[in-house]
Amino acid sequence: MAEIVYAAGAPHAPGLIGLLEAAPADVKDVVINTYRSLADAMASARADVLIVFANDHLANSRVRTYPDFLIGMAAEHRGPYEWFKPWIGCEDYTVKGSPEVAAALFDGMTKRGIRMFAQTENLKFDDNISVPVLLTNVAGSGIPMVPVLQNCTVPPIPDQRRCYEVGKALGDFIRDDLPADMRVALLGSGGLSHEPGGARYYFIDEEFDRWFLELVASGDHEKLLNELTLEKMEAAGSGGTAELLAWVVVLGAIGSKPGRSFGYTVHKDFKCGVGGVLWDMSPNMPKLRAA
Amino acid sequence: MGLEKFKASLATHDLVQDLKWSPELREEFAANEAAVLDRYPLRKDERHAIETRNFLALYDLGLHPYLGGQFARLIFGNEAGKGATVAVNKLVESLQGKGSVA
Repeated sequence: MAEIVYAAGAPHAPGLIGLLEAAPADVKDVVINTYRSLADAMASARADVLIVFANDHLANSRVRTYPDFLIGMAAEHRGPYEWFKPWIGCEDYTVKGSPEVAAALFDGMTKRGIRMFAQTENLKFDDNISVPVLLTNVAGSGIPMVPVLQNCTVPPIPDQRRCYEVGKALGDFIRDDLPADMRVALLGSGGLSHEPGGARYYFIDEEFDRWFLELVASGDHEKLLNELTLEKMEAAGSGGTAELLAWVVVLGAIGSKPGRSFGYTVHKDFKCGVGGVLWDMSPNMPKLRAA
Repeated sequence: MGLEKFKASLATHDLVQDLKWSPELREEFAANEAAVLDRYPLRKDERHAIETRNFLALYDLGLHPYLGGQFARLIFGNEAGKGATVAVNKLVESLQGKGSVA
């Protein structure tokens, strides 16, 4: 059976690239340390493929025809999409895709009763994929990527329990459907608290963020599923914080495992709390899933 | 103000998506906004809210806040730390009670 050798969650705020240089030194330290640690761990994991779950941000589909999950099947993923370039302020990148794993994922999730959609054309990437790809050096590492853009903001939103179920099916797919010797990396891209487009655009809920980081690092998934409700995430930043559901998908796939974070920081110009978590995927760790 | 007023069928959603996805439409919107708006089935109050840059009114009509933020950047600027900051501040000013920020 294929093996999940890397699992992490990390924010993707556009300011982490475009506004990083102007940020205070202590803020920069946390950002650089977090993404360097995640990048080093990804390189050490020697993964054959990276599957990234991230908020689509209404980048690819109209509200009237909005998918809950959209798989990128392209042979190459190029970004960022034209309109987002000045907003993110990053370089163009090309990441190798894995049409085979993407197709297997689409089939595997369909077989398990999870409705996903899949597109062979290059998806439109904004900060959702662009920021982690550049800050964790996915583009430079040569690791093939399968992006899955999910609905974290268009009601009705698949909630934490549904996303955890999707994650469970993802874990089963990886272990049972992918080639036996394949090494898989998972990244949940999004968060922490923020309210893009809202009246509280500059609001960052530091108390929520610290609670969330501690909770996901603890491995207590029963508590996670009981308490990380859409209502709680909306209160911590409407229309933005709920993209932490991408982390929940990853947690459903790996089951209960401890994780470690690399610090937490807030910076008004980022308009988003910043902190990442790397979960312990060493083979001798027991895997426990919430019911 | 969150998603509680969101109305999925609001025509402005399509306008914002099309502007994001088409540089040509953005050029036309900048040069002749009325001609672009004519092509969308906007309600009268919805069109007036767009014309007067009244994001508060648009949100009351059901505009999704994420697309509202992008609409502000399409109008006021999209560059990190520059136009995008102006756009955020204009949007917040409107949503916190000013209404029109034309």
